[in-house]
Amino acid sequence: MFTFEELVELIRLVSETRIGGIEVEKDGMRVHIVGPPAAPQYERTGTPLLPPQLAAAGQFVGNPIALPAGGAAPAPPAAQAGQGEEEGLSFVNSPIVGTFYQAPSPDADPYVKVGDVVSKGQVLCIVEAMKLMNEIEADTSGTIVRRYPENAQPVEFGERLFAIRP
Amino acid sequence: MISKVLIANRGEIALRIIAACREAGLATVAVHSEADRESLHVRMADESVCIGPAYANASYLNVTAVIAAAEITGADAIHPGYGFLAENAHFAEIVEECGLTWIGPPPEAIRAMGDKANARRTVTERGVPVLPGSSEPVTSRDEAVTIAEEIGFPVILKASAGGGGKGMRVARDPRELRHVFDTARNEAEKAFGVGDVYLEKYLTAPRHIEVQVMADTHGKVVALGERECSIQRRHQKLIEEAPSPAVDAELREKMCEAAVAAAAAVGYVSAGTVEFLYNDGEFYFMEMNTRIQVEHPVTEEVTGMDLLMEQLRIAGGLALSIRKRPKMMGHAFEFRINAEDPVTFAPSPGTITELAFPVGPGVRVDTHIYRGYVVPPYYDSLIAKLVVRGPSRKEAIARARGALGMFLIGGVRTSIPLHLRIVDDPDFAAGRLSTAFMDRYAGRE
Repeated sequence: MFTFEELVELIRLVSETRIGGIEVEKDGMRVHIVGPPAAPQYERTGTPLLPPQLAAAGQFVGNPIALPAGGAAPAPPAAQAGQGEEEGLSFVNSPIVGTFYQAPSPDADPYVKVGDVVSKGQVLCIVEAMKLMNEIEADTSGTIVRRYPENAQPVEFGERLFAIRP
Repeated sequence: MISKVLIANRGEIALRIIAACREAGLATVAVHSEADRESLHVRMADESVCIGPAYANASYLNVTAVIAAAEITGADAIHPGYGFLAENAHFAEIVEECGLTWIGPPPEAIRAMGDKANARRTVTERGVPVLPGSSEPVTSRDEAVTIAEEIGFPVILKASAGGGGKGMRVARDPRELRHVFDTARNEAEKAFGVGDVYLEKYLTAPRHIEVQVMADTHGKVVALGERECSIQRRHQKLIEEAPSPAVDAELREKMCEAAVAAAAAVGYVSAGTVEFLYNDGEFYFMEMNTRIQVEHPVTEEVTGMDLLMEQLRIAGGLALSIRKRPKMMGHAFEFRINAEDPVTFAPSPGTITELAFPVGPGVRVDTHIYRGYVVPPYYDSLIAKLVVRGPSRKEAIARARGALGMFLIGGVRTSIPLHLRIVDDPDFAAGRLSTAFMDRYAGRE
């Protein structure tokens, strides 16, 4: 038989390691503990909800299109997004497919540069689709640590635009 | 001429279009939702663009996103496939305004046939038979009853702007007609923004027979013969075949002539289908589908034509590859394999764990599934089309029975068991078909 303390310990183990579950047997008593949902819902930005083992393996964090796939996934090169470097970052992803512009007009200054401190709601760039200029705002306050697309580069729906350290 | 085609669709038809483009030497762009990242059309196209989340309204139905994808990839033509934006005249107009080639009929033709009451009037003027009914929208209950008594009950009320069974109501007597009149108008208003309804004689067990047409930009319209699609449930076709067991050479001539007249009446271009109801030796225009259809392979199999290739030729400004109606050779069936329960018809999304395709002469499978593919719950349940051709109808049925039995799909429930029962149905074997055929299978077991 398992003692109460042993059961609590098992539950804590499953919950802390975020493994899918555990099944143990002792003196003819079998206990099956199921962990937290295995497939966490990715938030567009904010705290990553991926299991630590996936995040550590260099998978994308906090990106709603985090599944690596045939050519289309906007995977940042490993050198730019090394292990652990992305921890705590918040990502601004493109809400539409279109063309990325860093400034309101070709001869104007960029809305933001890497290193700038931005506040929530501040315009970061434009994504143009069918001649409509869609201003993309920061959904969190912090420092811009990275800009992903080049100016005038096409971006897909869900593609990363900026990384912000809150 | 066109050089790079964006396919504004998913699933088997997206792959079918890619196959035609490859053969024609055209580059391809796939667009996809987040849910379709692992889809074959994404892998098989030369380029791909994610255009939105799983929900079709924000991705495959998102006009701005599709056009933006064409802009950033430099595509110069758009093929809409079927469903989604295929019969959206507004989208077709935008495509053309953006200087892109629309691989489909002119927007005006889509619009003219999309308004069902208008389509009815237009084809009537060209001598195409329609069911007895009202030539204009019916505005009051009294007017509806007067017309219904003239043409005889039962009657059906249909939304002018309609389609997909919405706003359709059958009435068997004046009392029922008065009762359903407002419901039909309200439903039409809600579904299409226009409350106009018109009234037609209702046939209880007609055959659904349609004619494939193809028209080029040089004014040539050709009919490619008929398909019978009577085996349906809830207005969804399950099995299609060509030729129809009910159509002889004389009737075929008349129906094809009517279909060409209907298409010509709206200045049609590209592939289209004129749908008729057939009852007691008479046929009546029902509507025209202004797109390539799911069941187009049936016609391809008996005529030897490649309808997608023909669409590409026409979009490139070339003339049709044929001058007159091709002869139908042999007999072909299409069985729609849906990821759904074969008895309850409840959708059955999930992972394909096992997959084996039938083989042999005259067997064709149009599909986008593969082992490990996850059938998403967001879209149509069609996962494959089994198309079988034989020298005669009887031989084609025997071949279909064998092929259905060799088609293994594990992990999701499919309509294959239902098809296996239908091919053994004596009425099916005898070609005794009607749109009421599936009633006997509803709720069985």
